[in-house]
Amino acid sequence: MLQQKSTYTDYRNNAAIQHQFSPYADNGGSVVAIAGDDFVIVGADTRLSAGFSIYTREQNKLFRLSNTTVLGCSGCWCDTLTLTKILKSRMQMYQQEHNKTMSTTACAQMLSTMLYHKRFFPYYISNVLVGLDEDGKGCVYSYDPVGHCEKRTFRASGSAGALLQPLLDNQIGQKNMLNVKEEPVTKEKALSVIKDVFISAAERDIYTGDSILINIITKDDVKVETFQLRKD
Amino acid sequence: MFLTRSEYDRGVNTFSPEGRLFQVEYAIEAIKLGSTAIGISTNQGVVLAVEKRITSNLMEPTTIEKIVEVDKHIGCAVSGLIADSRTMIERARMECQNHWFVYNENMSVESCAQAVSNLAIQFGDSDDDGAAMSRPFGVAILFAGIDEKGPQLYHMDPSGTFVQFDAKAIGSGSEGAQQSLQEVYHRSMTLDEATTSALTILKQVMEEKLNSSNVEVMTMTPDKMFQMFSKEQVEEVIQGIFHVEHPLSLNTTGQKV
Repeated sequence: MLQQKSTYTDYRNNAAIQHQFSPYADNGGSVVAIAGDDFVIVGADTRLSAGFSIYTREQNKLFRLSNTTVLGCSGCWCDTLTLTKILKSRMQMYQQEHNKTMSTTACAQMLSTMLYHKRFFPYYISNVLVGLDEDGKGCVYSYDPVGHCEKRTFRASGSAGALLQPLLDNQIGQKNMLNVKEEPVTKEKALSVIKDVFISAAERDIYTGDSILINIITKDDVKVETFQLRKD
Repeated sequence: MFLTRSEYDRGVNTFSPEGRLFQVEYAIEAIKLGSTAIGISTNQGVVLAVEKRITSNLMEPTTIEKIVEVDKHIGCAVSGLIADSRTMIERARMECQNHWFVYNENMSVESCAQAVSNLAIQFGDSDDDGAAMSRPFGVAILFAGIDEKGPQLYHMDPSGTFVQFDAKAIGSGSEGAQQSLQEVYHRSMTLDEATTSALTILKQVMEEKLNSSNVEVMTMTPDKMFQMFSKEQVEEVIQGIFHVEHPLSLNTTGQKV
């Protein structure tokens, strides 16, 4: 047993010194995605932080995987870098092997298997994959760190995920409302809701703020927009 | 000064001075000893028909399997060394399942052929995956499948080369059969026409008399996918051929005269 060296003799004891390495960091960040009949919108804040310090106020967390597929990542930033790098190379290899661009559905399944392959040392990332499916319909896939995949039409994830999801359930899913008529969500409505929920998130969550980057994916193109949030 | 051919036809990984790999060429020759298989691709689907050589009447014909399912949407007909084909079919099936597992979609027929081709050219030196394969596979394969490009037919030979075909014959009767296919094939062929043509040509090139137990027939269609013909279905097609060839003997009961 090692003798603990302490300058404070009162606290000196014979317990073992523990050396620990923590492989993960939580760099925060939130991603919100809403799908419509012929579009899908995804937004992510641009703050990269650790604890009480901010690394940068302008970090893009949305990754263009193809013309119709975008991945939003939040959590451990170094894992995000590695995962997206591997994803991009897998997309390229698929393109070359099969002579076609990977569809959003294929990419969604591949991401799930890639995450599960690291079941016992997972990527510490909340992933939200959005895109258009084979019929041009918008879709949102959300994942847990070990690859469980869920297809939905709207999703909030990341540090403010738990804060924002009920808001989306109400505003987009029209949950807990009386006398609502079901109508498909429009692009304008989705865009304004995304901006609104991020404003709310920035008020309560210190890991979400500065600004948001928004990708609007349609069959024609991917439009990029920014929107400022509070920076304190 | 060229060395004689015999000195270069032993190693599977030695080129001859003329730039040939004799063992691969011999393997391609080996296919010409195999039973005949025919594939025709139409807009409605693909049909595969193969001859089964029943060398003894004590043999159980159903145990000869020359058309196999690789996945719901891909089927294969093989000719040559059938034992070798098992290994290749196993790989094809594995690759299709793996593709489905990783991408949640059907593997394209071309990609499936590519995957099997990768196995076919692993003869020669040993590598990380294990010991060397002593020789090329002595098998030619017809891949019939449906993917996002529609019905497709691919042919692969022992060198691992694979090419898409509208209609292709392999095996001992392939030369004659290919010629006949050339004459009979047209783009607007229906699947029924193709099935009848395939069996008619098979009948012409087979040494034995064609019957429902010495041929295998499979159709691959977008709605029914892999469909192996039952003995009765094969008989029906054979009956049709008989009427075409002997129109005067057509009788109302539909029985052979």
